[in-house]
Amino acid sequence: MSDHVVPLEEMERDALTELVNIGVSRAAASLRKMAGQQVLLSVPSLEVVTRGGAATLIRERESGDLVAVRQDFEGVFSGRALLIFPESNSMALVRAVAGSALSDAEAAEMEDEALTETGNVVLNSCLATMANMLQRPLTMSLPQVVRGNGVGLFELMQVSTEEGGVVLFLYINFAINDRDIRGYIAMLMDLPSLQALRLLITEFIRRVIGDEV
Amino acid sequence: MSDIPTPERHPDIPSRRRQELAALGGPWLEALTASAVAIVLTDALLPDDPILHVNPAFEALTGYPAAEALGRNCRFLQPEPAETEARARIREALATDAPVTADLLNRRRDGERFWNRISIATIRDGHGAPAFRLATQADVSSEYADDPAARELRASRRSLAEVQERLRVVQSVAGAAGAWEWDIASKRLVADARFASIYGLDAATAASGLPTAAFFAAVHEEDRMRLRIAVAGALHGAEVFARDYRVVVDGEIRWVAARGRTYLDAAERPLRFAGVLTDITDQRKVEERLHIAQTAGEVGSFEYVAGYGTAEVSEQFCRLLGLRPAQSLPVRTINALVHPEDPALIQNRDGRISSGTASHEFRITRADTGEERWLASRGEYRAGLAGGTIFTGVIYDITTTKRSEAALRLLTEKLEERVEERTQERDRLWNLSRDLLNVIGPDGRLRAVNPAWTRLLGHDEAELIGTSIEALTHPEDAATARSHLAHLLHGEAIAEFDIRMRTKGGDPRWVSWTVVPEGGAIYGIGRDVTQRKLLEDQLRQSQKMEAVGQLTGGIAHDFNNMLTGILGGIDMVRRRVSQGRLDDVDRFLEAAMQSGQRAAALTHRLLAFSRRQTLDSRPLDVAVLVRSIEDLLRRTLGEQIELVIDMGPDLWSAVADDNQLESAILNLAINSRDAMPDGGRLTIGGRNVHLSATDLAHSDRGEAGDYVEIRVADTGLGMPADVLAKAFDPFYTTKPQGQGTGLGLSMVYGFIQQSRGDVMIESREGSGTTIRLFLPRHHGAPDETPAKPRAAALPGTGETVLVIEDDPAVRLLVLQVLQELGYRAIETADERDAVPILQSARHLDLLISDVGLPGMSGRRLAEIARASRPGLPVLFMTGYAREAADQAQFLDAGMEIITKPFAVDELGQRVNRILRTKGMAGPSSE
Repeated sequence: MSDHVVPLEEMERDALTELVNIGVSRAAASLRKMAGQQVLLSVPSLEVVTRGGAATLIRERESGDLVAVRQDFEGVFSGRALLIFPESNSMALVRAVAGSALSDAEAAEMEDEALTETGNVVLNSCLATMANMLQRPLTMSLPQVVRGNGVGLFELMQVSTEEGGVVLFLYINFAINDRDIRGYIAMLMDLPSLQALRLLITEFIRRVIGDEV
Repeated sequence: MSDIPTPERHPDIPSRRRQELAALGGPWLEALTASAVAIVLTDALLPDDPILHVNPAFEALTGYPAAEALGRNCRFLQPEPAETEARARIREALATDAPVTADLLNRRRDGERFWNRISIATIRDGHGAPAFRLATQADVSSEYADDPAARELRASRRSLAEVQERLRVVQSVAGAAGAWEWDIASKRLVADARFASIYGLDAATAASGLPTAAFFAAVHEEDRMRLRIAVAGALHGAEVFARDYRVVVDGEIRWVAARGRTYLDAAERPLRFAGVLTDITDQRKVEERLHIAQTAGEVGSFEYVAGYGTAEVSEQFCRLLGLRPAQSLPVRTINALVHPEDPALIQNRDGRISSGTASHEFRITRADTGEERWLASRGEYRAGLAGGTIFTGVIYDITTTKRSEAALRLLTEKLEERVEERTQERDRLWNLSRDLLNVIGPDGRLRAVNPAWTRLLGHDEAELIGTSIEALTHPEDAATARSHLAHLLHGEAIAEFDIRMRTKGGDPRWVSWTVVPEGGAIYGIGRDVTQRKLLEDQLRQSQKMEAVGQLTGGIAHDFNNMLTGILGGIDMVRRRVSQGRLDDVDRFLEAAMQSGQRAAALTHRLLAFSRRQTLDSRPLDVAVLVRSIEDLLRRTLGEQIELVIDMGPDLWSAVADDNQLESAILNLAINSRDAMPDGGRLTIGGRNVHLSATDLAHSDRGEAGDYVEIRVADTGLGMPADVLAKAFDPFYTTKPQGQGTGLGLSMVYGFIQQSRGDVMIESREGSGTTIRLFLPRHHGAPDETPAKPRAAALPGTGETVLVIEDDPAVRLLVLQVLQELGYRAIETADERDAVPILQSARHLDLLISDVGLPGMSGRRLAEIARASRPGLPVLFMTGYAREAADQAQFLDAGMEIITKPFAVDELGQRVNRILRTKGMAGPSSE
């Protein structure tokens, strides 16, 4: 069985990518304010894969340990979102966000806090933007930092569905002061949620197309 | 001092000009100088308008004290000498002395730049001619500042042309790129000429602003929706915009890359969506071709900058490794797939290599299937633009090639194994063989021997290696071995030969060799045939005994018949004599005589076939001889057989015993006659031939040279092969019992061989038989055949003859004959009696001696006789004597030989002739 599931059409994937792009741009604006530094975020592409597929994707791309910020969301579509970084990048991110004047000890102390905050900004912006654009409300749990390798992280993503659900897998480029930090956003949801999301996306497409042109 | 580039200065401005200026400006000038407006006064009469005066406001504005400004042109405030539109305008105005205002980007003394709005007016003198120029200067940088307010201000104050100018700048920066600016609030799209050209829009219209729908109008239908979605993202706040899509203008499809940013206002609301558009059609084509080439060729590409943790990879690269498509992958992920024993795929992480090409091969375990594949990597190191070493390379699958290689290698290994097996088999043969196997080097020395050598001959291998083969050969065969070896070393193959080899103990062993020279070495296989040789000897011995038995049986049979005739005849005579009946005595005596003569003929034949007859070989003319017996032959052959004599011209003389040759030809003719019971033709031919050693291979004593051939050919029954093979065997006959002795052909054979010639026989059943006799050529004329006197013996005249004969019967007979013929005969039996007489002073006229005597031979006694009596005639008598077989060698001058049995008359005639010749030739010895 293929790791890929394609319940979304190309256009729908584009639309979702743009939604997330709008979301991370907002997050970037928030981070700029927070850190007082140039922060630019973008999401070049999105894939829809199974959970196993997502683990493979992460494993192939990241050989080291990972750190992730996790948040659950609930609404028309529900699931769990993760913002994932290679652990080796996490301190750089902390310094970028929390200020470069920190000593190593301080940075280490602040790491989880900074990560939580960053994850919260990014994920919230994404999900909120999506909810906003899709004109549906979403509620979100508190963020939580988790660590482990790819497989472990996705094991953690156990959702109470018998099918295991699908993962919207997004690459995210962080450019902080011209320094690139790669990361990933993974949104695990069950098929009914995906179906609901899909309907909303279609609606969005219809609206933006009619809206602008 | 100032670090500003200093234009030429005019330090010595005459005070006269100041006074003139004061006169012209009057109180106005003073008031202006004192104001907050920065003022510069220049001299219009001097070239390049040097500064005459600046006020404190100028000093405050530019930071330059008056002293530093005086004498210079105002250009010293400009940071770059580059011509701008504003400066051009100023220059034009000054040329006509018209007033002018322009904004110039100037630089203060501290280096800070500012926009300086300069207004210049010309002050004329009393005659209306330009005398001075007055310039006011003001900092208007705020108008140029990049903040929303300033932008608003600028937008309101600047014409659209300035927007276009900015786009042109963007365009010039971006090369051939077109630029667009999408104002989100007003929903207007402004684009430059290049954008318009790509989109097929009118440049002027695009520059003046279009409805935003124009952004999608020219876009390829298939790309339009996706572009709209992307733009929607940008318009809703997605900051980064990047899309490649197709535009269709006049039916032509072009690929473009649009890269943009969304600019937000202070409230984070999208304000402007701007970017550049590049025509990437060519690039795309190349990329597509590359992609197709890479996909079709299954070539994956990658780029790695030394020191980084990730590598840029192509889709095909990922596919080859069984990884999910990605644009960049961690080096660890990539290299983890490579077999631990093989070189890593991504190398040079430490950046030690900075240039050159690299290629290597390695195994990987596919990430998806776990299958092992062979890949090859090739690429090049080069310096990156931003520093560091970049490796750009490709990978491709070489599993098939590798498998073929492996298969080939396996095959080779198997082949080697097989060769090894074969070698082992050979080794086994070599080691186990009972035959002697060896290799002899070009020096004739043993190079390798198998263990059979030690088993058979007892020498150790170490003793044998390096030993010459000759040294291992039995002394009697050493010459043969040497000769064979010489031939072999010249590359001649010798099929087989048998020689005796020496064992360590000294005993000889017969070894039959098969030897082949090859590549400078000699390979030999020797088989121990000692046992066989023994058996052969035994067989030969028993065959000889059988032959002797057969021979003696045959002879005994014939002799018994003849003896019966002789003895019976003599017995009958004796009875008749005792009875006194002498009337028919002669009849019995004649019968006994005939039997005796037949016995003599038989012994003669026996000696001939045994090649031990006494031959009187002398030069002869074969043609003459054959013609002399032509009548005899015709009578023998009868009327049914045609005789053809075919003698070649200029036939050479041959050397042979004429009597024996006659007899041989006659013998052959008789055989031919018997083979042609119904008649036919017998041809006797003669010609000169040259025979080589090969031709004479079967001859006993023949040597290469000239020969006279006598050909006896019939048209008779011929012989089957088995008969032909035995044709020359003694006592072999195809004739009915009693009709032939079986000695005919063997006698011919023996005679010719003894004459140093050869016999060849050709026959096929039903096709007649041809026998060729070859007799050696005589170089010179044939001798005159001495006339054979046939007259009866003349009586002697009392000459003294010494007779030496050990056989009393013969001695009695000889003495009787001599006495009856009137000679004085002295009778001796051997040397004991003879030598004293020979050495005495007794007169002797002739010595008659047997050849074979007990003790000293007749020939030796003759020499003793001649020692004191040179020229003493000698007549030898012989039944058979080996040394007398060739008369020419045996006899000296004055010596003759008479063959036993001889007739009484014959002896008398010979003695008589010898003595008469001697009497004529010279004095007798005393």
